[in-house]
Amino acid sequence: MTTTPVLAVEGLTKHYRGRVAVDGVTFALPRGVVAGFIGPNGAGKTTTMAMLLGLVRPTRGSGTVLGEPLDRPERYLRRVGALVEGPALWPALTGTENLRALARLGGHDEARIPAVLDLVGLDDRGGDRFGSYSFGMKQRLGIAAALLGDPELLVLDEPTNGLDPVGMSEMRDLIGRLAADGSTTVLVSSHLLGELEQVSDWLLVIDAGRLVYEGPAEGFSAEREVVLAPLDPADLVALAGLLARSGVAAVPDGDRLVVRPAASGTPSDPRALAASLNAAAVSAGIALAQVHVRRPTLESTYFRLLEGELR
Amino acid sequence: MTRAYRAELVKLLRRRVLLLTVVVAAAFAALGASLVLAAAQPASAPSAVPGRVATVESLSRAGGGTEVFRLAVSFAGVFVFVVFVGAMAAEFARGTFRTMLLREPRRVRLLAGKLAALLTYAAAALALTMAATWLVALLRAPSVGVDTGSWASLAALRAAAGDLGAVLLWVTGYAVLGTALAVLLRSVPVALAVGIAWAGPFEHLVQDAWSPASRTFPGLLLEAFVAGGTPDVSAGRALATVGTYAAVAALVAAVVVSRRDVAT
Repeated sequence: MTTTPVLAVEGLTKHYRGRVAVDGVTFALPRGVVAGFIGPNGAGKTTTMAMLLGLVRPTRGSGTVLGEPLDRPERYLRRVGALVEGPALWPALTGTENLRALARLGGHDEARIPAVLDLVGLDDRGGDRFGSYSFGMKQRLGIAAALLGDPELLVLDEPTNGLDPVGMSEMRDLIGRLAADGSTTVLVSSHLLGELEQVSDWLLVIDAGRLVYEGPAEGFSAEREVVLAPLDPADLVALAGLLARSGVAAVPDGDRLVVRPAASGTPSDPRALAASLNAAAVSAGIALAQVHVRRPTLESTYFRLLEGELR
Repeated sequence: MTRAYRAELVKLLRRRVLLLTVVVAAAFAALGASLVLAAAQPASAPSAVPGRVATVESLSRAGGGTEVFRLAVSFAGVFVFVVFVGAMAAEFARGTFRTMLLREPRRVRLLAGKLAALLTYAAAALALTMAATWLVALLRAPSVGVDTGSWASLAALRAAAGDLGAVLLWVTGYAVLGTALAVLLRSVPVALAVGIAWAGPFEHLVQDAWSPASRTFPGLLLEAFVAGGTPDVSAGRALATVGTYAAVAALVAAVVVSRRDVAT
């Protein structure tokens, strides 16, 4: 990974008839990362991507993609592969014919068609009509189309939509493989945070058109938390009361309690906190089945962020 | 534009499309030649209408064989219009225009390349249809008293080139107007409904009540042009007027397609 941004935008804004879809978004994407783009439905992910791809004209703001100005997409789109708002291809054409038409349109080498079909697992279905494909296969052909030009930047909008668990896993592997050598930067949006968590090393979080987090995925949920689970679930209330009396804020999570050092006013070292909570529980006669320190999931941090807890 | 042109040919040069084209050409040739020849009357007949119905005398000239085609085609304007409106509007409705923009973001070039490929294909299909119509007419002409002795002469070849050129201009007019309508409306059913209603009943109904319609409405002007002119408007005047309409429509389509956000 180098520090040269492959993509940088500043104050990117889009208004639709008075409604603000994207509001002053500013970020820079380092080359070679897999950047997860997350946010609730209608937060502005697709509109932001559409502006990056020249489909939608920004109301305000500027930026560069692969070093070229955002308002000159003809200079950079040849080096960008994209799948936005689902795979829209010609139903009467076969998979191979669809790719041939797009290769010619983009000035790409048609000889790459078998390779990209193979990459997405459609090598034996290239001769079938696109209209006869399942949604998952259509999605994969859309990815194959995005890969035709051996892109430096890959922009994927909800690529796992419509895929079964196996398809999702394959898509995750594919994204990982594409980014493995650092030559391809991937910007991928998904509402499946667990999927993104496994492939992303960079995150962009958008809410109501505004970017609320931009940075390494590690930094997003860097804060550790302590998980306590009483051996007898009936002791959960007693344990919560004990923590409350000690001034420790705990959040129920099923049959467990989660304590966050920063929020509790207790020792900032999570390991020290875990030890002190364990000792307090034992002295109160509550046997614990689990005491461990963990990194919060992307999902839990994301919801805390959207709820304003982390802003 | 060349890239868009070559990409469009992938869609057009498929076995199924080629086969359909041959079938339509053959059916059109059989039906069109039969109808035009059946309607042909001696020039002295009181019901002979210049422009829309051939006379036995005009068909007996060197260019008679391809005049049959030109007159038959003049009744297929709505069909041609619908083909272009459908082909263009479908790209917007299906979202494939968005997919294409990700490969060729220069929108006017994209549209122009696609249109050029469609017109190239149409030119080839029309040449095939013209040849088939000529052949059918050659077989049937003697039965209605048309002399085909000069239909294979050099003069007939020149007349054929002129007739094919006129038909291509006629198709180009419908293609540009159809593309503009598709760009503005973007929905296949809406664009087809508006296009068919306008080019079909609307223009002809207004023409019955308001005679300047023949010199004003684009569909009627295109019909008049391909028929070689009518008592109301000459072929040259019809071409000039409809050419102006087409230029304005192309400009409007180019501005709209360049400026509009492509969100879906």
